Amino acid sequence: MTETAAPLLAVEDLHVSFPHPTGNAVEALRGIDLTIARGEMIGVVGESGAGKTTLARAILGMVPRPGRVTRGRATFRGEVMTELEDDARRAILGRDLSMIIPNPRGELNPVLTVGEHIGNVLRHHRGLDKTAARAAALDLLRAVAIPDPQRRLDAYPHELSGGMAQRVVIAIALACSPTLVISDDATSGLDVTVQAQILDLLKQLIRANDASAIFITRDIAVTAHFCDRIAVLYAGEIVELAAVGTFFDGPRHPYSIMLLAAFAYSAELRRHWTRPEGEEEALPPGGCSFAARCVRRKQRCLMERPALRAVPGGSAVRCHFPVGVAP
Amino acid sequence: MALARYILRRLIFVVPQLLGILMVGFFLVKLIPGDPAVLMLGPNATPESVAALRSSLGLDQSIVTQFGVYIGHVLRGDLGISWQSTRPVLDDLLERFPATLELVTLGLALALVIGVPLGIASASERGGSVRRAGDLYGLLAGAIPDFWLALVMIYLFYSVLGIAPPPLGRMDIALSNPPFVTGSMILDSLLAGDWEALHSVLSHLVLPVVTLGLINAGPILKVTQSTMLRVQASDFIRYAETCGLPRKVVRRQAIRASLPSIVTIVSVLYGFLIGGAVLVEIVFSWGGAGQYAVQAVLNADINPVLGFVVFSAVFSLVVYLLVDLAYFMLDPRTRG
Amino acid sequence: MTAVPTSKGAGPFAGVALSSRQGGAGLARQLQALAAILRWRPLFALGYVIVIGVAACAILAPWLAPYDPVTANPEAYLQPPSWQHWLGTDNTGMDIFSRILYAPRTDLTIALLGTGVSALIGIPLGAVVGYYEQRSRLRAAFSVTVMRSADVLQAFPVFVFAIALVAVFGQGIVSVVIAIAFVNIPIYLRLMRSQVLSIRGMRYVDAAFVAGASDFAILSRHILPNAVGAALAQLSINIGWSVLLTAGLSFVGAGVVAPTPEWGSMIATGFQNVTTGQWWPSVVPGIALGITVFGFALVGSSLEILADPAQMRLAVRRREAR
Repeated sequence: MTETAAPLLAVEDLHVSFPHPTGNAVEALRGIDLTIARGEMIGVVGESGAGKTTLARAILGMVPRPGRVTRGRATFRGEVMTELEDDARRAILGRDLSMIIPNPRGELNPVLTVGEHIGNVLRHHRGLDKTAARAAALDLLRAVAIPDPQRRLDAYPHELSGGMAQRVVIAIALACSPTLVISDDATSGLDVTVQAQILDLLKQLIRANDASAIFITRDIAVTAHFCDRIAVLYAGEIVELAAVGTFFDGPRHPYSIMLLAAFAYSAELRRHWTRPEGEEEALPPGGCSFAARCVRRKQRCLMERPALRAVPGGSAVRCHFPVGVAP
Repeated sequence: MALARYILRRLIFVVPQLLGILMVGFFLVKLIPGDPAVLMLGPNATPESVAALRSSLGLDQSIVTQFGVYIGHVLRGDLGISWQSTRPVLDDLLERFPATLELVTLGLALALVIGVPLGIASASERGGSVRRAGDLYGLLAGAIPDFWLALVMIYLFYSVLGIAPPPLGRMDIALSNPPFVTGSMILDSLLAGDWEALHSVLSHLVLPVVTLGLINAGPILKVTQSTMLRVQASDFIRYAETCGLPRKVVRRQAIRASLPSIVTIVSVLYGFLIGGAVLVEIVFSWGGAGQYAVQAVLNADINPVLGFVVFSAVFSLVVYLLVDLAYFMLDPRTRG
Repeated sequence: MTAVPTSKGAGPFAGVALSSRQGGAGLARQLQALAAILRWRPLFALGYVIVIGVAACAILAPWLAPYDPVTANPEAYLQPPSWQHWLGTDNTGMDIFSRILYAPRTDLTIALLGTGVSALIGIPLGAVVGYYEQRSRLRAAFSVTVMRSADVLQAFPVFVFAIALVAVFGQGIVSVVIAIAFVNIPIYLRLMRSQVLSIRGMRYVDAAFVAGASDFAILSRHILPNAVGAALAQLSINIGWSVLLTAGLSFVGAGVVAPTPEWGSMIATGFQNVTTGQWWPSVVPGIALGITVFGFALVGSSLEILADPAQMRLAVRRREAR
């Protein structure tokens, strides 16, 4: 029997908007299309405000109010997450689809111990009793390489260091062997050395679980090391989607190049690809969302919104005049 | 140990505060016009007998000396004598304070039973009508004077329906009081095994307790609601949601996180009501401590006023200590 | 009200806070935001109607009232509501409807003056105390002294304290005003102190300080305008609360002297009749009193939401949730 390779997660034409008292809704996501295959790791990069976190929450079916999904859907293993009933969603979240959050010390419940945090998930999703959950939690703490796990089991969040809290959150996320893990800027608050350790650990555990992952990050270097594909998000749109090798060999979107220039600390590249200061003006809507900051913009860019299209080399780009592609 | 340090710090802080309260109270009451000696002896007293009484009461000394003498007495547990009742203030208060305490404790217990569930329900994302009803209740309870509500209750349940006893004290005048043990009439009649008295005591408690409960449920509801709303929007509750924990579990976590605020508002209300229940006490001729103090102020009877102030300050102190203990149990961060 | 931890990304209304720094255009925005709140919760609008209505009664009482409020008519005592006396008469034969219309003259005057005086003293004092805290030794000592005094005042049982004040100054309206002002000062003091403490830590205040602005300039130009919104909301709530306290004082006989029309003393006058079944002398003034306090509480709640961006966001979130 041949199984059609249905993707693990399919995001189709996803629109999320936040109403505003002035009447103009703020479009946080404007037609996201993205699929993730089993075992794949995909990186989502972009500056703050690009819609990365909103994308993650929409996939979980938890767009923060007052925002809502206005069009499109996210489907995870056949379940339309964006339209799912509350209880059905609760059965999936934390078990098959889990999320790793940034700055976990502030997001863990201050009155619950580490053991209770992990145990809660194990008890409700895997039906373990209290003792079994505690034993399993201890194994998980060992797996995420927390020093002195026996003692940490009874520690409260405020007694943990940032790195340890991050490991705890990873343990919670992986407790039920999920098939998809979304990591939202999971290491942003940590020291660089700790960051690398945690990312290595995370990748290793996800691979061991044969799970897929979405790495949401502002740090493009992370995607270079950990991901199979990369999606560049700008102003609620994917502007470039490519395999990691292809992307770093030849980025096609001017914004991708700007990101790489910033990452490479290359002053020359940056000067070349950035509009002179003060020249970034507000443009009338209807054109390319990046036009205001683009050094290559032409008349067409102001008039017509580009679609995400495949270009030679295997990338998909949302640009009328992709870099390195003959018009 | 952290808890001991906590309590010690609290105590060190309280001594000067207690002294300050006594000082304010002392000078305030001294400022009230009216010479106690004249009031005690009546209009027909001779100037000589007034002067003699003044000197025996120490009223001819400077006010600072008088204060010093008073503090000396208080430290020895002597709160002076009320010239109204001509009894030691300590005895008067020991008799009346339990009456107030019984009333206020039961009233607050009822307020909790009404306010907390309503507050939780009105903070939930679903059920718009429950929420609006909760909001309205909070506003109304804050707007209605308790003494007026007490009168309406008396009118309805005594004058019209005739099912409540007359608003004349803590139990039927025809019955004899159970022997004084704790000062709580419920406990005392239970201890004495006097069921008739117990029945009378309980029936007299219903209206004032319901009055205090209905009114004070308002602030409890408001605090519960606003805390729950804040907690539900908090990072850790959102995280619990992303972990897919059942709604019941998330809700329990939110309620747990709201408890410290509820404990705080209850302690504030407790301290306030010891003196603040006086209007309800008056309506029901309760004979409580607040009523005693108000009567004393109106008659420039200084010792009962100060005695009451000391009692309520010490009571507040005990309540706040209990609150600290509760925090200590509720929030692991304070144990660090 | 402590700040609510807000989710990432500024929600709607994020920039709408009660701040007079924005000048005329700011006021227009404030009114717009207020209109949005009133649309969201029409009950709040009722509050404004009540407050205006009660104020109108106070002003127009001589024209509206069918009888003189303080003239006793011994032949018509304790009459139930009728066409002659819409809300009946009390035990001295005074017309209750007329007295209720006149009462806000006393109650509102006392409450407005009392809260006004306490706000005028408490707000600047609280601002200075908050500003001077953790500064040079003398200023910090001043702050600590003021705060400890406020502790003492607040630890005093409110009602006993108020009655004692009235007893000291002698029965009458002025004494009640003083008593109300006194018991309210610590509320404003604390509120402003916490507001100022949080604003003082902001960058723009540091910037003004580094730029060499004087304390007075920093306080009056940068801190007060941004801190005063919460205090204004409190003011409205406190007016209602002061009306309650005034009535309570009159009820125990430590407030306004009879026969001046005042809700609390009217309830007290009718107290004895309630047990014998004549409800109207007590119950009706209580309803008028309750409605008034309710109105001020509603207005206060709407201002409170306006003054707090975090609550404003919650408000919007709830509106969208419907």
